[in-house]
This record gives sequence, structure tokens and C-alpha cells, in this order.
Amino acid sequence: MLHSLFLAIKRTFQRELRRFVSRPIYLLASVGVMAFCFIFFLTFFDEGQPEKMPIGVVDLDNSSFSRQYLRNLQTTQHVDITQHFASFKDAREAMQRGTIYAFVYIESDFYRQVITNRRPTLTFYVNNAYLVAGSLAAKDMSYMSLMTAGGVQRQVLRAKGVGDSQIMGIVQPITIDMHSIGNPWINYGTYLLNVLLPVMLQLMTLMLTVFSIGIELKERTSMEWMNNADNSLFAALMGKLMPYTIIFTILGLIGNLLLYKYMHFPLNSSIGWMFLATILLVLAAQALGILFIGLLPVLRDGITVAGIFGTLSITAAGATFPVEQLPYFFRELTMAFPMRHYFLIYVNQALNGVDVSLSLTKYLILVGFTLLPLFVYKRLKKAAIKMNYPIK
Amino acid sequence: MNDIKDKNLSQNSVIAVLNGVWHNFIHELKTAFRDRGVVIMFILGPLIYPLLYQSMYLNEALVDVPIGIVDNSHSSFSHELVRNLDATESLKTYSYYASLSDAQHAFEQREIHGIVYIPKDINYKLSRAEQATISVYCDVSSFMYYRTIYQSCNYSILSMNKKIQIQRLNALGIVGESATSIADPMPYQNISLYNRGVGFASFLLPSILVLILFQTLFFGITMLAGTSREENKFHVLVSANAHRGGIFRVICGKSAFYFLIYSVWIFYVLGIVPQIFNMPHIGNPVDLIKLMIPFLLATIFFSMTISAFIPNRETSMILFMFFSVILLFLSGIVWPQSNINGYWRLFAWIFPSTHGVQGYIKINTMGADVQHASFEYISLWVQTAFYFVTTSIAYRWQIRKTSRKQLVESDR
Repeated sequence: MLHSLFLAIKRTFQRELRRFVSRPIYLLASVGVMAFCFIFFLTFFDEGQPEKMPIGVVDLDNSSFSRQYLRNLQTTQHVDITQHFASFKDAREAMQRGTIYAFVYIESDFYRQVITNRRPTLTFYVNNAYLVAGSLAAKDMSYMSLMTAGGVQRQVLRAKGVGDSQIMGIVQPITIDMHSIGNPWINYGTYLLNVLLPVMLQLMTLMLTVFSIGIELKERTSMEWMNNADNSLFAALMGKLMPYTIIFTILGLIGNLLLYKYMHFPLNSSIGWMFLATILLVLAAQALGILFIGLLPVLRDGITVAGIFGTLSITAAGATFPVEQLPYFFRELTMAFPMRHYFLIYVNQALNGVDVSLSLTKYLILVGFTLLPLFVYKRLKKAAIKMNYPIK
Repeated sequence: MNDIKDKNLSQNSVIAVLNGVWHNFIHELKTAFRDRGVVIMFILGPLIYPLLYQSMYLNEALVDVPIGIVDNSHSSFSHELVRNLDATESLKTYSYYASLSDAQHAFEQREIHGIVYIPKDINYKLSRAEQATISVYCDVSSFMYYRTIYQSCNYSILSMNKKIQIQRLNALGIVGESATSIADPMPYQNISLYNRGVGFASFLLPSILVLILFQTLFFGITMLAGTSREENKFHVLVSANAHRGGIFRVICGKSAFYFLIYSVWIFYVLGIVPQIFNMPHIGNPVDLIKLMIPFLLATIFFSMTISAFIPNRETSMILFMFFSVILLFLSGIVWPQSNINGYWRLFAWIFPSTHGVQGYIKINTMGADVQHASFEYISLWVQTAFYFVTTSIAYRWQIRKTSRKQLVESDR
């Protein structure tokens, strides 16, 4: 009994391998797409943080003081003063053209006002339509303005005979010591790649699961597929999906190695925990794929649902906008996405390196996803044998 | 006899060409609306997807992010600081913890996303007018957490610093106006010219809206092409009776149909949806229309060119769904365009979506006119021309293939 099941799985596996090489789409949608994603994402964010972004200056003061400020600003990490403008209007137009992300406006007589205690205002105009560029530029500009103000304070206080030991307490009474837990360099690659690569892996696994089953229904070969597996849907699914389990697991582990060994992104526990999460993510995606094509045994509908689900996974993971802050309905809905649980495991294990017992439920939920096909087992079997669904 | 002669004569007349275009237009319309998959792409996609994304990202900024406090000083200063942090819109004190490790425990359980640590010596340092340090630990699982906690703590500390500075200056006998000016000799002002609320949704969603239009149009067109391939006897894109000898009619008829549907969607997705959800919409409609005409045309011809290589109905969805994410990054909104590597920027230029997104943001979010978005505007027209030519070449190639196959068939 067990032996015949094994033989049925083996036959289906061999049949699937023949199908795999019969069309280029299988290789393209697995190795091809993932190889592109590896290359794209690893080279796209190689700076870590966007550095030296173009900003502009309207310096109506044009004193040694304002020039000193601008020279200092030029040395900061994120901004690069590329343009000087004669007026506010010119600068604003450059901003609308997108050639600069922000500009500093220094009014005329600025320095004279500073030394005569008239407290002139330094104004930054920031384009937050590009939120990342805008916030980083604003951060550097305000930091440098505080530093410059500190310099002025120091000079004045020294002139008033205040001792150097007291001056620091006046210039900056309280400082903040900022710790970003797990990602001390605030690297964008870390934020995005740890989510985007698994999202892509999951999306392509879903797509190929739905496709490899759905194409049998569409081309009316599902009866033969079932016969080949002694009419056992279990054997038919196992044999059919195993090649993809192997391929996507390997691709997923390569992804993990690239992230944690090649890019050296934060990994504060054993890489084995991320391997496990990746393998479970592939299995969960395959189970969801069976669920989708079982519910909608029409290839195209299955693909559409898989595609929408796969891309929504980015939002559901919560790396871009925290899930805790989504509207209630969507917050609860994210539980239905394997990526949400994978992401929480990543935060716990790789980023924060907490005790693995805290991630246990997440691993178990991922395992739970693999039971989903039970819901459509009968329906899919009927569809495969009777072939009674439209082909498009 | 006369009939045939007339037909030959009229074959080349303008009316015949228009007639052919019209015929293809109607043909495409009928096939599209008979196809459930295409209806989903052309109708439900642009109708529902924007609403879905808009309602997911209803919250522009983080509100009441729970943080933990470890207060070892128990001073009036620390109480005031916690009050100030609590008073910000974005932070909320979740709980006090006896030690850093207790707070860390809560952090690991994801009960809190940040920890503010006030050391014991702060009173001592404050009383001696020395510089004191507090520590802030923040969750970096999402960039938004880091940004919010960082900015709110910074803001609260800065405003407290101002007060302490004045006190210390007063103690040194510097009072009144001169104390104020020493404490803050050159205040700065940070003005957000566009996306004034510095909202996450206002930043991200405009580009997603354009990408929804691009992707649904692309998938719809390639799906139609894949289907006609499958159903056609010779497995070619254009059946012989459709083109009646002229590829121009086929291309124009089809693209006119796509253009008409999507000109309605432009108004809905880029005009109405942003208003309903209070997204940026300060653009001049005329400028927007001027930009969107070449955007639609370039997208249509781009998709038609690719569709010549699509063998089946589902091929494009499987192979290009993942590209939606790639296109978002290539468009240069999330990661600033100035910082994209040279070769990826060149790669990004190929896709009409890049210019569509950039142009839309400039006009719609930043109130620019078409002159300010001239790079995008010109690029889109260049693409329209280029992809029209490639579409013609691809279609001619397909039609040749049809006639060759027909010849083989009739030889048999």
C-alpha cells in the first residue's frame, strides 16, 4: 500500500519533470525571476542609505558666515549642494522639476542680524513628495543649523566670560543617545530586502503552484495526471509539487545566504532559524496555491488571485507601514498572510535575536498553513477527474 | 465584376482605412467584453484596486506608538519629559519599567516599540549645569517606527533644552532678551512645500495609482493577445481576416479601444480617487491630461510590442506580476531617482511607468506644469513613437507568419 503510494508519487514526479522542461515558463518563473530579483535588489540598494542627494541654496546674505554654514552642510552624509539660486521662485521651480529635493533659504543681512541679537530665521524648504529624500535632507540641514547656532552661542558666551566647562551645559543641556536596535546603520537595504526577497519567493511559488495544477485543468490533461498517480490526489499533488518545493527551497536558502552572509545584514541568532522560516514559507505558499486553484479551478482566475495575494503580502508583512497602525480590518486580515508570520520571525530572530520560544507560535502558524489544501481536497479531485470547469 | 473592381479601388481610400480601423475597434471591444479575465483587468482592476490601497493606507502617520519608560531619576525633570513625550501625537507611554531588561522583555514581546532610558545621574548633572544624556532605543523593524520615535524624542528634548538654557543663563546673570537670543541665536523653520502633512500615504499612493493603470493595461493587452494566439488556428497573434492587408488598421483599431477605456480610468483613478481620499491633488487638470495622453499611448504600444512574444493567456501574469514591485522602485519615488545607479536608471527609462509616475507626482502633488515635467513629457512622446514602430514591426512579423502558415496549409 505504502509502496504503491510511493511509486505513484515517483511516477508523477518524473512526469512533472518532463513537463518542466517542455516549456520555458517553468524555468523563467522560478530561477529566472529569482535570479533577476537577487541581482536587482542587491545592486539597487548598494548605498544602504541614499547619500549626497541634490539640494539647492538661496543665499541672499552671502557673508563669510553663511558660506561657512553651507560648507559645513556640504560635508554631511545625505546632501549635496548642487545649485545656487538668485531667488525663492527659481529654487521652487527647480524643486518642481525634481532636480533638487530641498533648499535652504538664507535671508539678506542674516549674519548682521545674528551678531546684533535679532535672531534671524533660517528656512528650509523640503519636498516631502519624495518622503525619504525629504526627511533625510531635512535631518542634515537642521542638524547643521543646530551646530552652527551652537558655534555662535559658544562665541558669545566666551565673550561674556563664561568658562568652557559651563558652556557645553548651556549649548546642549541634554543630548540624546540614539540606539536603533538590531540595525545600527539604518540601512534601507536591511528594511526592504529582508521582506522583498521572501515576498518574491512566495509570489513565484504561489504562481507556479497554481499554474502547474491549473494548466492540467485547462489543457484537459488532469484525468491523465490523476490516472498516472493511481487516482490519488495526495500522490498526484506530492509528485507534482515536489520539484517546485526543491527549486524554491534552494532559491530561498540562496536568498538567506546572500542577505546574511554576503551582505552581512543583521543576524542575531542562528541562520538555521531563517532557513526553517524560509522552508516553511515555501510550503505555506504551495498550500495556498492548492487552495486557490481548488476554490477556483480555472487557471486564469487562480493566477489572478495568486498575483493579488502575492503583491499584497508586502503591505501585510508590515515593513513599510507598521501593521499595528493599519485600520482594524486590515490589521486582522494580515494574519491570513504567511509573509506576516515570516516577517515577525525575521524581526525576532534575525533582527532582535530574541529567544526562539517567542517565535514558536509563528513557526506553528506557518506549519498550519500547510493544512489548507484539506478544505478543497474533494473539490479539486472532482474538478481534476470530471474536468467540468471552463478553460478560460 | 463591377463589385470587385469597386472594392479594389476603395481598398486604398481613406474611408476604407477608417472602416478597417472601426472594424478592428469593434472586434477588440467584443472580444474584450466577452472575456471574463480581461473584464477583471480592464474594469474591476482600475475600479477596485485604488480603493483597496487607499483604504489600507488610510493612516498617514503613526499615532500613539507605545513606548516604555525606564526612569531611574524619579525627578521633576523626568516627569516633565514623559509628559512632553506623551503629549506628542505620535507617542504614548505604554508603561514604566523598573529596569532596562524589563523594558527589553516588553520590547521583545512587541508590546512597546521604543524605550526611553533616563539615568540616575541626571538630577545631579542638571543641578550642576552639566551636560546630561538620555538614551532612546527604537524598533527598526519598520522605518516608520524609527523615524517617528526619533523625531518625537528629538522634538521634545529640543524644546526642553530651550527652557533649561534660559534657566542656566539666568543663573549666570544673563537675563531677558539677551538670554533668549543666546539660547536660540538663529532659529530654523522647516517648511514642507509639497506633501505638507508629511504623510506616508500622500507620498506612496500617487505612484501606486499610476502603476495600477500601467499594470492593468499591460496585463489586459497581453492577455488578449495570448488568448487570440491560443484560439487562433495557426497560433499567431493576428488572424488573416482581421488585418485585411493593413497592419495600420489593426494597430489603430485596437489601440483606440484601449485608449478610450483608459481615458475614463485616468479621470477616475488620478482625478476622483485622490479627492475622495484627500490625497494631494493640486495639479492643473489640463497639464495632467497633456501628460496622460502620451503616457497612455506609450503604455499601449509598449504592451502591444511585448504582447507579440506572449504565447499564452496567463504567461504575462506569471512572468510580470513581480515586476510591479520592481517598477515601483525604478520609478524613483521611494528611493530617490538621483541615487539610482546609472545602469538601473537607464533601464528605468525604458518603461513608460517611470515617466508616468514622476510626471504625475510633479504635476499632481507638486503643482508643476507640463514645462516643469518636460523631461517626462518628451520621454513619453519619444516612447510613443518608438513603441509604435516596434509594434508595427512585431505585428508585421506576426502577419507574415500567418500567411506563411496559411501557404503551408494550402499546399497540403
